[in-house]
Amino acid sequence: MARKNRKKNEQGFLFPVPLALTLLAVALLALFHICLKARADALGREIKALEARRVVLRDQLKKEEGEWSLLRSPARVEAALREHGLVMAWPRRDQIVRIICAPASGRARRLEPSQPLQYAQVQKVVMND
Amino acid sequence: MTDRDRNIRLEWLALALALAFAGLVVRLVYLHLLTDETIRQSVEDKGTIVKPILTGRGRILEGSKAGNIVALNVGMFDLCADPALLAKSNLTGQVASSLGTVLGVTSEELRGRLNHPEKRFAYVARQVPDDLVHQIMDLKTPGIFTRETTLRRYPQGGTMCHALGFSNLEGVGSAGVELIADKYLKGSEGFLESRLDGRRREMYGWRVQDIQPQEGADVYLTLDENVQYMVEMALDRAMEKHRARGAWAIVQRIRTGEILALANRPNFDLNEFRTARPEQMLNRAIGQVYEPGSTFKVVAIAGALNEGIITTNQIFNTENGRWSYMGKILRDYHPYSQLTVSDVFKKSSNIGTAKIAIQLGNERFYKYLKGFSIGHKTGVDLPGEEAGLLTPVEKWSGISVSRIAIGQGVAVTALQMLGVANAVANDGFLMKPYLIRRVVAKDGTVLYKGAPEVMGRPIRGDTAQKMRDLMARVTEPGGTGTKGAIEGYQVGGKTGSAQKPTAGGYSETDYMATFVGFLPVQNPEISIIVTVDEPQPFHTGGLVAAPIFKEIAEQAVRYLDISPSAQTGLAGP
Repeated sequence: MARKNRKKNEQGFLFPVPLALTLLAVALLALFHICLKARADALGREIKALEARRVVLRDQLKKEEGEWSLLRSPARVEAALREHGLVMAWPRRDQIVRIICAPASGRARRLEPSQPLQYAQVQKVVMND
Repeated sequence: MTDRDRNIRLEWLALALALAFAGLVVRLVYLHLLTDETIRQSVEDKGTIVKPILTGRGRILEGSKAGNIVALNVGMFDLCADPALLAKSNLTGQVASSLGTVLGVTSEELRGRLNHPEKRFAYVARQVPDDLVHQIMDLKTPGIFTRETTLRRYPQGGTMCHALGFSNLEGVGSAGVELIADKYLKGSEGFLESRLDGRRREMYGWRVQDIQPQEGADVYLTLDENVQYMVEMALDRAMEKHRARGAWAIVQRIRTGEILALANRPNFDLNEFRTARPEQMLNRAIGQVYEPGSTFKVVAIAGALNEGIITTNQIFNTENGRWSYMGKILRDYHPYSQLTVSDVFKKSSNIGTAKIAIQLGNERFYKYLKGFSIGHKTGVDLPGEEAGLLTPVEKWSGISVSRIAIGQGVAVTALQMLGVANAVANDGFLMKPYLIRRVVAKDGTVLYKGAPEVMGRPIRGDTAQKMRDLMARVTEPGGTGTKGAIEGYQVGGKTGSAQKPTAGGYSETDYMATFVGFLPVQNPEISIIVTVDEPQPFHTGGLVAAPIFKEIAEQAVRYLDISPSAQTGLAGP
């Protein structure tokens, strides 16, 4: 019976190189996957934070729009005028300058107060005719 | 250690590992395949979040150049509690007391809401402002949490309240434009289904469904807040001056039928609609029918002129103010012996108008009533419109024609009566009133466009011209509506002072004072109706309603840049 080669046994079990490479590749892929996942999660959190921020800003914008509308409302304008002692009145007859278009020159000229009144007339479109 | 010992140890280790792995597999199989479905579902649910994503209702914007927002949604929070948890922690009383102080509610009231140990949910307060919510959440009270919600805000409070209407706490339109345009305004909620991590934070990468909400469309009105303000201020002053029960007014563009202002008194604050009384919420301008009185004489005289059976110069015997017809006495407010048709209208003679209507005849008069859309809804885009009351001609008594002609035994809304005046001003064309100009989705798509629509043409253009001339005389010296005249503009109008019907007759003290008119007469642009319910001490349309008309019209013509009538000189003081 032939004796066992002890020198050979001392080397022990040799891990197959292809398997080792495969495992290394899998490990690298797993690491890469984990990195990507972590990055995706971080981006997800960022997107969520931005989404929340957008909602807050949209609400804020709406509130500001409402407030702006209120400030421009006639009641507020009138109250502001009163508060600052400003009075708006329609002009008196002598404060009005009436201008007509002179056909000859095509330029506007001023009417004397003694002249009969003329008003610019807007061409009206009668919708139902 | 020998090789054999080492091998045995390795074998035991392998066996132990195999057993542990097998145990894990068995547990895995048990959990996935053999566990009770409800337990598995409960575990699943705890790691899952399913929630609707709220969307705001669309905005409503008024029709002036500024295009101000008159209704919008703002984000708010509902403050909620877990009464069972509070009871378990024995914190109900303490929480009620501390939150009551912050919210301005009595602790007894809050305790009443929270003292339900059998419940896992209760509202502490709804639609709480942000700053208050942050203040409360900083207390870190166990069992107290928030829910996002939206609140419908009306920045201008009571302005346009009857036209705008309101939406309820659930965001459903319940009155006015809010109700009629609900399908455009409400939008559609989004939906989110996702997984939670160990700290119960939603994981973006695990979203199963993420459907974004579709915001409601914006509704643009024809109502102009500046004209509306003029009308509302005038009505407020009139209510105080005449100690009236109510007052309402409408301003309309004649050529298109666009409503520029619609106001009623009493009114209410839209932000506090829950506390408003029913009489404050009634849109009287379209929802209250009343006998129109003398303003209705327009219909009978326009009909008779259109049929060519009378001329404006034809003389009628007005019987010195007292006339018996079919055994019933008819009186005039001011007695006259004889009047031309023009003067019958100018002086508002009941007897003269009744005689004209009798000459017109039941059938023909009824045809004109229908032509002016009396007894039918105008179809304005507002809910709660009344059709008015018009008895079918087959059921008329012998005197019906004489009474309906002077605005008795028939009931209309202010909007219908304004429609009659509009038709006269608009060459006989009856326009459909509308106040939604357009509806625009968030992406800019126009979903709806309000456009002028002709409902009919009850009278010819030449008849309308004659009627305009007659109505212009009402505001001239000697007419009943002189207080409706405006310097610089020729105003056409008609007064009405209708006794209010009571059981078995008419009230001697309660009147409806009305003035309906348009201007400028030769090129009519706007029409206005003003009605005052039970004014005191004066009760005639000429004394009560005409000055309000004047107050509104004077400001409106300047604001709307309507040219003065050339013949009557300069507008203004």
